[in-house]
Amino acid sequence: MITEISEHEYESLDQSSPKLIEFYSKTCGPCKMLSFVLKDISKQKPEFPIYIIDFDENRELKERLGVKGFPTMLFFKDGKEISRLEGLKQKPAIINAIDALA
Amino acid sequence: MENTYDIVIVGAGPAGMTAAIYAIRANMKVLMLDRLSPGGQMINTNEVENYTGAGKLSGAELAIRMFEHTQELGVEFDYKTVIDIADGGDWKTVTCEEDNTVYRTRAVILATGTVPRRLGVPGEDTWAASGISWCAICDGAQYCGKEVVVIGGGNSAVEESIYLAGICTKLTIVTMFDLTADPKACDQLRRMPNVTIYPYQEVLEFTGSDRLTGVRFKSTKEDATERYVTCDGVFEYIGFAASSQAFARLGIIDRSGCIQTDSHMRTSVPGIFGAGDITVKHLRQIVTACSDGAVAANSAANYVESFR
Repeated sequence: MITEISEHEYESLDQSSPKLIEFYSKTCGPCKMLSFVLKDISKQKPEFPIYIIDFDENRELKERLGVKGFPTMLFFKDGKEISRLEGLKQKPAIINAIDALA
Repeated sequence: MENTYDIVIVGAGPAGMTAAIYAIRANMKVLMLDRLSPGGQMINTNEVENYTGAGKLSGAELAIRMFEHTQELGVEFDYKTVIDIADGGDWKTVTCEEDNTVYRTRAVILATGTVPRRLGVPGEDTWAASGISWCAICDGAQYCGKEVVVIGGGNSAVEESIYLAGICTKLTIVTMFDLTADPKACDQLRRMPNVTIYPYQEVLEFTGSDRLTGVRFKSTKEDATERYVTCDGVFEYIGFAASSQAFARLGIIDRSGCIQTDSHMRTSVPGIFGAGDITVKHLRQIVTACSDGAVAANSAANYVESFR
């Protein structure tokens, strides 16, 4: 499931559960195309939570998480960042990063 | 039969997507594959102003429209990396990296396009993606108020430099020749007050210890003057290399890695067609890629019909 959240909503997420947080920008082409890939992954893994956050409107959170560009995907488990992928990545690479959270 | 198609299209850039539209409208059973996402190089283009009838829009916006068009017509699409194409005469096989999936098809349209070329100088691998970038729209924001070097002087270099000069304090362009982009864009860039251009230069190395700090380059003119420019980031736009490794053994690629086709987009192998930037051509634009795709699909459909 893909849900758009703000930095305020990020704070209230269940930190322990595995999740993918993607920082995107409305002006970024690769981010737009990544959204197709993420939708496809979400169809394949409907239970896995994917959260998308606007890079430009949530500057404090992106600074805190050390996100420098977009798209950036952060993979979390037990409140810790397990891995990150920067840029538009191939679907299998994203699936592998999700599977590594299991 | 499952995994059997009339036409498999490899690559979902403007050439591949247009080929898919024409092929499905010719009643072909079509599969379109792409390793990354639909759109190809278009998605890294900030603004497209020369696609007939579309006005001014971003490359990604155009890519989305094209992809949605293919989906409305029912084109089957999958995210797969093609690693081999074999010519078995009347049938071809297309092998993908993911689970070694093999597709059987009468015809293949190769529309894999190109990838950004690299300089291959010291420091490039060290700072790739953490100081050196190939996409200003993706990574430009982190250099807001900072100093940046752009390598290259063609259309991509100049267009992206105009965008970067608007957000950076100082922009230096280092290019092998002079600016070779569209004259209107070159004039706009030259007028920007924070831009310095060094033409006829060869990049020697990227330097830094814990982060990228500068670029060393020297003049290709007789004086061979060496210069060093400090910077926070580098963007490289020195052209593109053909993505043709998967079909190297078909014997249809030239020394530059591109496919030679005839005016019907046929290669020397019956049933294998080429379209878009991967083919040997003079003008690599979205509109010419679309044109190739339409011609290739028409030729491929005629080829498939010959078996019916």
